[in-house]
This record gives sequence, C-alpha cells and structure tokens, in this order.
Amino acid sequence: MRYWKPIFVGAIVMAGLSAWTMVDDPVPTGPYPLHYPASFGSRFTIPADNPTTQEGVYLGRLLFYEPRLSATQTISCASCHQQARAFTDGLALSIGVHGKTTRRNSMSLTNLLWVRQLFWDGRSSSLEEQALIPLGHTDEMGSKPGEAAHFLQKTKPYPALFKQVFGSDTITDVRIGQALAQFERTLISADSRYDHFLAGHYQLTESEQRGMQLFNQSPSPDRNVRGGNCAHCHGGAKLYQELFHNNGLDKQATDSGRQAITGLALDQGRFRVPTLRNIALTAPYMHDGRFNNLDQVLEHYSEHIQPSPMLAPELAGQPNGFHLTRSEKTDLISFLQLFTDSTFVHNPQFANPHLK
Amino acid sequence: MRNINAQLAGYWQASVVIVFLLTGLTSQAQTVLTVSGEVTKPLTLQAADLTAMAHTQVTGKDRDGKEHQYAGILLVDLLKQAGATVGGELRGENLTKYVLVKSIDGYEVLFALPELDPDFASRSIILADSVDGAPLGSGVGPYRIVVPGEKKPARWIREVKSIEVRFAK
Ligand code: HEC
Ligand code: HEC
Repeated sequence: MRYWKPIFVGAIVMAGLSAWTMVDDPVPTGPYPLHYPASFGSRFTIPADNPTTQEGVYLGRLLFYEPRLSATQTISCASCHQQARAFTDGLALSIGVHGKTTRRNSMSLTNLLWVRQLFWDGRSSSLEEQALIPLGHTDEMGSKPGEAAHFLQKTKPYPALFKQVFGSDTITDVRIGQALAQFERTLISADSRYDHFLAGHYQLTESEQRGMQLFNQSPSPDRNVRGGNCAHCHGGAKLYQELFHNNGLDKQATDSGRQAITGLALDQGRFRVPTLRNIALTAPYMHDGRFNNLDQVLEHYSEHIQPSPMLAPELAGQPNGFHLTRSEKTDLISFLQLFTDSTFVHNPQFANPHLK
Repeated sequence: MRNINAQLAGYWQASVVIVFLLTGLTSQAQTVLTVSGEVTKPLTLQAADLTAMAHTQVTGKDRDGKEHQYAGILLVDLLKQAGATVGGELRGENLTKYVLVKSIDGYEVLFALPELDPDFASRSIILADSVDGAPLGSGVGPYRIVVPGEKKPARWIREVKSIEVRFAK
C-alpha cells in the first residue's frame, strides 16, 4: 500500500502535466511547404493574411486537439474529427457539449485545401471562418464569442505561441480560426493504393479493375455497357468534384440542404458531394449518417434511388438505380477500398500533440 | 403651399420606396441569371427578361447522338447588354478575358471571350431555353448552353445560373 501512493501521485502529476501541454523548444518556424501530386492541381487560394507557416500549423494542431476551447472543457475538434477515422467520428450524428446531437453527420477533414464551399450545404467559404462555427455552436463546442480566447490567454503556453505566429500575444477568436485553418490545410491525403495505381506503382486485381470500370462508366443498356456513373460526381485524382446534388435518398427531403443557402427551389434536398477518400473508414454515410456500411450505400445506388424533380439526371436513367449484381457490388467495394490512405491516418504530424 | 408640396413630396417618396421595395423583392425572388465580373452593367435577370430577348435557333447533337433544334439567346447578346468588351473592343489585353459559366449544381465551364464573338467565331453559342419547341426538362433547364458543332457536349452546361467575365491573371 505504502508503495503505491507515490506512484499514484506521480501518475496524477504526469497526467496533469500532459494536460498542461508541453511545447517543443524551439518551436519549428518558417514556411510550411504543402506537398501534393501535380494531378491535384493548384486551384486553391490561401488568404494573403494567413500564410501557412510551421509555427502556425504547430499552434493550429495544438488547438485542434484542445478541449479547453469548449464551454465544458471536454470537447475538442478532434472529438468529432478523429484521425483514425479520417477525421470523422463513427457516429450517425455527433454529440456536442450539452449531450445533444448535431443536425448532420461529421465530415472527413481531407484535402480541405481544395474545398471552396465548406459543409454539407456549402455555406462557408473559408477555413478561417468555418472554424469559428463549431467553436460557438451550442450543439458542438458551445463557447461564447471571445470565451475560449479569454481562457487561453491565461493558459501557458498559448500567449507565447500566438506571439510567435501572429506577432502579438493577444489571443482572439479570429486568430484561433486562422491557426486552425493553417493546420487543416496540411491534412493532405495522396498516398492510397489508388494513388499508387495512378502513379503506375500498383497493379489492380481483376476485381478492382472491374470495380473501377463500374465506377467510371455511365451505363448504356443499348450498347450493353454496365456502370454506376460514380466518377461523374466522385471522380478525378482527388476523388472529389465540388458539386451539389440530390442522390435520391428521399422522395421528399426533410433537410432542405443547399436550398436553405441559395433560396432556389431547384436546390431542395441537394447536398455537397463528399469526397470518397478513405471512404471505408468514414462510416456511417450520407449527410444524416443513415447508412452503416458500404453495402448499404451500394444497395441504395443499386435499388433504392427515390425519384423527385431534384434527382440528379445521372442517377435518374434507370428506375430506382443501377441494379448491380452481387458480384458487381463486390467489385465496386473492392475498388472503393483502394481509397484508404493508411499513411494519412497514421501520420504523426496529424496526431494529438498533447499526448507526446 | 409649402406644406402641401412637402406632403406630396412625402407621398411621392413613399410610393417610390414602396414600388422600389416591391420590384426589389420580386426581382430577388425571381432572379434566374446573373451576368457579372468585368462588365460595365452587371445584369440580374428574371425569366421574363430572357423571354423578351431576341432568340436564335441552332441545331446540335446531344449525348443521345441525335440532332435537336435549340432556341435561345446568343451569349454575345447577353455580354453586349452587360457591357463586356466584345466587338470592336475585343483586342489588346481584352483578348486574355474569359467567361465562366456556372450551374446550380456547381458545375463550371469556360469559354475564351473570342469564342463567343461573331467577329471571331463562325458558330453561334446560345443560352438555350427550349429544345424541339418544348421548355428544357428538369435537371437540364431552365437554361442550358448549347455549342453547335462541338464534338463532345461537356460544355453544354445545364441549369445555368450565372455568367462571369474575368481576366486571366
Ligand atoms: C460536436 C461535433 C463537432 C465538433 C466538436 C467539431 N465539428 Fe467539425 N463538423 C461536424 C459536423 C456535424 C460537420 C458537418 C456539419 C454541416 O455540414 O452542417 C462538420 C464539418 C466540419 C468541416 C467542413 C468540412 C468540409 O469538407 O466541408 C470542417 C472544416 C470542420 N468541421 C472543422 C472543425 C474544426 C476546426 C473544429 C474545432 C474548432 C470542429 N470541426 C469541431 C462536427 C463537429
Ligand atoms: C449525381 C452525383 C452522384 C453520383 C453519380 C454518385 N454519387 Fe455518391 N453521393 C452524391 C451525393 C450528393 C452524396 C451525399 C448525399 C447526401 O448525404 O445527401 C453522395 C454520397 C456518397 C457516399 C457517402 C459519402 C459519405 O461520406 O457519407 C458514398 C460512399 C457514395 N456516394 C458512393 C457513390 C458510388 C459508389 C456511386 C456510383 C455507384 C455514386 N456515389 C454515384 C452524389 C453522387
């Protein structure tokens, strides 16, 4: 018994220390180079007043994993965006500080550098601005404006780090958003087996090959071509096209989606097409997390597409879906699994820095 | 007298404000197309404005491989109305301008400005509002770009909602 006490106390002190955040000495500084394949293209804008720097990314990562940003000091961005799940949380709807669920399914934070219209409905146009939304939302982190900044101001080592990044040790919500945005821009996934295949370093199995054809081809019954037309919306090297569509989940959508932003009747029940990067890791699926696995997703595209005036024309060609056979579904799933990037989900640069 | 005048002026102002509000509201509710960017008179158009503009007929082959008759407004007419540098002004640095057409679903396609100008191009690119005499169907209309003679109809962008003129930078 005597033995245990000091060890126990020691453990508490250690836990306390690690919660108090240890910072590298010195903190890395200088420009942060963003590496990505040329095929991803450079159609992105980094705000001139928030260039990506090593010290900024360093701070942003600490903040991303910082529960003390939330009203209850219990929830960080990483609670709903976990690296092992490609920055999703495994829940249909996420749970915020007050135990209530969010309106929609958590989104994978991957290749955000290229995303121009953030969220399922595209309502936010910059990562800087976006970060302040979960920070303040009562069903997410629930901090009142300035509250988290005020708290961090009194918390070592943050004032010194903000000084290093922004030239001033005054912590503001805007600067918190800027640092978070810098970290998020570095979350680049480009090392899946599919990327290796595109670079000529991986040979597809026969099933993956057939799956890729179904993914890329538009079906044409008269020419006997089978296909799921997936690439029209989910294709390209990034496996992402910035489009808003209704993929036939419901005849009458209960969540108006894009329409609430644009006011256009034709936008009723349209949502942003999500990336398929790491799709095998990001269940449950769709804006409301209604499907638990990829089998259910393919079941939807195969048999259950609901007609409505808003349904995307690419999905409206055949009644209720593409009517894929069981082996076609197996092939498609084996192709979708190629999108898993284990380097990305294990990259130590993206991991929780408070646990070092 | 002064009083009456002031009152009249007041009424007049109020009614102008009301009319302005009404038209403001309805035009907001019904905006179907905007033309903006490097133009002198940005346009916010309603369906009736487009219906009233001169229409041109073209034939083109859609994805179904069949020839169809499309009717619509010449893109260059919309650009002229917005005061873009077409015609005599399309020279010098204006030759580095392009037109970005966007659809409701977020799809975007680009034309170099001279592609749309009859002084340069022999084909007439239109913003179609009907096909074979009928309005365009759901998912396609109300407006679609038709590029006659283009082998692949990928720039025949559907559900057009905006046209932006930009400088290549
Ligand atoms: C309680 C769970 C929760 C927390 C905490 C949370 N998020 Fe999210 N996040 C979500 C949900 C749910 C969505 C989708 C919401 C929507 O579209 O309406 C989302 C969407 C996003 C997106 C949009 C991604 C895209 O592709 O458009 C970004 C970026 C993001 N979150 C970053 C953050 C950051 C940064 C933090 C911390 C400041 C954070 N999130 C905290 C649940 C959460
Ligand atoms: C017309 C565009 C379109 C086509 C074609 C399309 N999808 Fe989708 N896909 C979407 C949209 C939009 C969503 C999000 C819908 C929502 O949540 O309301 C989506 C969602 C998904 C998701 C869930 C992603 C997530 O993170 O929750 C998967 C998986 C998916 N699609 C796979 C496919 C496959 C496989 C095919 C081909 C059989 C396909 N899609 C064809 C538009 C499309």
